[in-house]
Amino acid sequence: MKKLFPIQHVMGYLFSLILSVVALSVILWDMSVALGLTILLICAAVQMSVQLFMFMHIGENKSKTALYTNLGYALLVGLITIFGTLFTMIWGYQIK
Amino acid sequence: MKLDNTLPMEYRSEENSNRILGFWLFLGAEIVLFSTLFAVYLTLWTRTGSGPDAKEIFEIGPVLIETFLLLTSSFTCGLAVHSMRLGLKKPSMVFFGITLLLGLGFLGVEIMEFVTYVNEGATLQTSAFLSSLFVLLGTHGLHVLMGLLWGGGLMLQIRREGYTLETSNKSFIFSLYWHFLDVVWIFIFSFVYLKGLM
Amino acid sequence: MKWDEFFVTGEPMIYGAMASIVLASLAIVVGLTYFKKWGYLWREWLTTVDHKKIGIMYIIAALLMLFRGGMDGLLMRAQLAIPENGLLDAQHYNEIFTTHGLIMILFMAMPFVIGLMNVVIPLQIGARDVAFPRLNAVSFWLFFAGAMLLNISFVIGGSPDAGWTAYFPLASIELSPTVGNNYYSIALQIAGIGTLLTSVNFLVTILKMRAPGMKLMRMPMFTWSVLITNVIILFAFPVLTVSLALMMFDRMFGAQFFTMANGGMDMLWANLFWVWGHPEVYIVILPAFGIYSEIISTFSRKNLYGYKSMVYSMVIISLLSFLVWAHHFYTMGHGVTVNGFFSISTMAIAVPTGVKIFNWLFTLRKGKIEFTTPMLYSLAFIPIFTIGGVTGVMLAMASADYQYHNTMFLVAHFHYVLIPGTVFAVLAGFYYWFPKLFGFRLNDKQGKRAFWLIAVSFNVTFLPLFFLGLKGMTRRTFTYSAETGFGPLNMLASIGAVGLALGFVYLVYNIYWSFRYAPRDTTGDPWDARTLEWSTPSPVPEYNFALIPKVDGLDPFWNSKKTGQPLTEGEYEEIHMPNNSGQPFILGMIFMAFGFCMVFSWWVPSIVFGIGIVIMLAVRSFERDHGRHISVKEIKETEQRLRGEQS
Repeated sequence: MKKLFPIQHVMGYLFSLILSVVALSVILWDMSVALGLTILLICAAVQMSVQLFMFMHIGENKSKTALYTNLGYALLVGLITIFGTLFTMIWGYQIK
Repeated sequence: MKLDNTLPMEYRSEENSNRILGFWLFLGAEIVLFSTLFAVYLTLWTRTGSGPDAKEIFEIGPVLIETFLLLTSSFTCGLAVHSMRLGLKKPSMVFFGITLLLGLGFLGVEIMEFVTYVNEGATLQTSAFLSSLFVLLGTHGLHVLMGLLWGGGLMLQIRREGYTLETSNKSFIFSLYWHFLDVVWIFIFSFVYLKGLM
Repeated sequence: MKWDEFFVTGEPMIYGAMASIVLASLAIVVGLTYFKKWGYLWREWLTTVDHKKIGIMYIIAALLMLFRGGMDGLLMRAQLAIPENGLLDAQHYNEIFTTHGLIMILFMAMPFVIGLMNVVIPLQIGARDVAFPRLNAVSFWLFFAGAMLLNISFVIGGSPDAGWTAYFPLASIELSPTVGNNYYSIALQIAGIGTLLTSVNFLVTILKMRAPGMKLMRMPMFTWSVLITNVIILFAFPVLTVSLALMMFDRMFGAQFFTMANGGMDMLWANLFWVWGHPEVYIVILPAFGIYSEIISTFSRKNLYGYKSMVYSMVIISLLSFLVWAHHFYTMGHGVTVNGFFSISTMAIAVPTGVKIFNWLFTLRKGKIEFTTPMLYSLAFIPIFTIGGVTGVMLAMASADYQYHNTMFLVAHFHYVLIPGTVFAVLAGFYYWFPKLFGFRLNDKQGKRAFWLIAVSFNVTFLPLFFLGLKGMTRRTFTYSAETGFGPLNMLASIGAVGLALGFVYLVYNIYWSFRYAPRDTTGDPWDARTLEWSTPSPVPEYNFALIPKVDGLDPFWNSKKTGQPLTEGEYEEIHMPNNSGQPFILGMIFMAFGFCMVFSWWVPSIVFGIGIVIMLAVRSFERDHGRHISVKEIKETEQRLRGEQS
């Protein structure tokens, strides 16, 4: 039975539950928007890493460089799309 | 066929490791797909027109259930791959089965949530905010649904053939997909629901 | 949907088109039956998973689309030739400039580039096929389904008519009530999925299937350009997927993304469209750079100058291409900061592009230049493209752009970039790699005549548009009055367009003539070229390489010819090849039926075909096809036959 539940997976799971609860704190307590967003961003980023490294085994692949480049590029384009769209469509009108 | 027996079965043939790389690349495209949906949502989420805003319709209860179901399913999916690598067919299939059931539960809660919204008069047509919300959540939900069909078909193949080069490769790729959906959900949970309720 | 709106009526030109479609289809069916070619068509083409045949099908489709899109262009030039011309009405004019843009970019340039990619890449890297041959066929048939959907729109239901950019609110259901823009969203979506799959396929192929010894920095430049292009496709096309889906939701399900009320934001469409649209420009231009690099190096008999800087400049272009999109709508009014940022990032792209131009020039320097048809296209490209690039820098300046925006100046600019950039490149590549596929060269003398006709007419057509734009003639205008004084230059441009059309017709004659009379090339290396594809016999056998070559530097085939060292060693072994399959074709046809029903909002058949798609995916998943093996004996016979040796 024990070998079916490797400690790494169990820890990863518990960790992801804890992170969700930490993220939940932003609506339980009053805090500034900036602080709240920071907490959310950090929690989400850590959660993503838990999935990537513990469950998706990204590090074990032989073409590691290709995978990390792919991921990095995708995240870069994704973030450019999100923040670039906010920049052009909303923030651009607000900056004088 | 050249086989490298030092690797787990799902990587062993050249075709298998090509497929895994190919799927990772596809996930890169999926990251951009969901980022674009987020870009649209984050641009439009305050533009509620005459409809309700985020605080008025979001309820944290069902969202927490969905999060819990999906996180757990991601965990069991990881366990399924782990036992597959140990060569244990039965436990692996049980874990895959649990994964799919949890996914089904997630989908059920999400559909109920949608029904509640619509009953409150918050539909796709109401406002830009709701259009972007429904399409973002719906795209994720559709992915889960595809995952259920895919996983179901896969379990039939594993039952028939056991873990071969092909089925183990497919199972591993399915697990990548499923973990990815979990990651997307984390971002929806954080930047749609929690941010909306903040 | 009323049934009398199903077919487009009331236009003699459309009736003519309908009649010709029916006649052409009949001719094809009768011809295939008479010559008993149905089985051949099915076995050799419709079910093929061979990258070379798929490439040929892409190129044939692209050439057909070139003529379809060219016809639209000719009609536009005919309409504008004289002031207040009554040839076309405003609606018809709107439809043809929309389909002209869509077809030329998405169904001509893209498939032509992807076709050459299919033909050349596995050969250039010493592989026997792409990583996922079956997926490759799926990509083609999805592209085909999308292209056919968009092309039937002008007789069934009406063409999209809001420009190839389909800006909202014009493209909304209120202002474009026909199904035209439904075709837009669904046909492009289906073709786009195919393109995305192509990119995954080629990335894996290039990353994992190179011949032993071919490190990344030893890859031919065309392979590099395709690698980077596919990276851009992989990350840009999902944005298009989302934008088109949102458009579909707005038009067909009453969503409020781009509406004018209820919080919708019409310019968000423009934003998303160009987040994809600008990288798309580089998707069609980077492979062109790769093609020119191969050709210029081959016909200068020199190594490509500045190999590394070529690679890095393409990497930088691929990153910058995602950072410049807002320069397409400077006039939206989003403020100085935004325009300033995008102005600078846009101008920055000129730097790596300039590096490439100089590298080509230095490759030519002191080379033994041979003026073949592909080389002429490449040489013409450099100065003409530079005009396009420099006017691009003019447009990049946000404050000056208020003057040029939406004028003929812009139209001239992007034709000056895309025609010498992409069109000349794919034609050059077509002439260059043609012997590899068919075993004979296209006649060079005729090719040169066609080149001069095309290159000169191109300038006659588009140079006047710069001046018309500066004088204030706006684009997408279907007529103008005589007092504007636009008449003479427009007439000149229209005369040029006729010359351009004649050039392309002559090019087709060139192909036809060469098929009948050109002498066979038995060497497999008619140009005395440098890269691995030329080490195979022409036409290439289905397994490409009987023995996988070993690579120990750049231009391995050239080195092997110079040093006399053989590229391959060892004995023939059995070769494993994938089986043909009808599934990709069937899947494509189901997608087409699904798309057609979606366009007309016929929900029940849409759902039925949608389930059909899922079933096809399941069939593929449950299938166990382990391919087949080609025996050593068969390889020996094929090699002897193709290399012209006596057995």
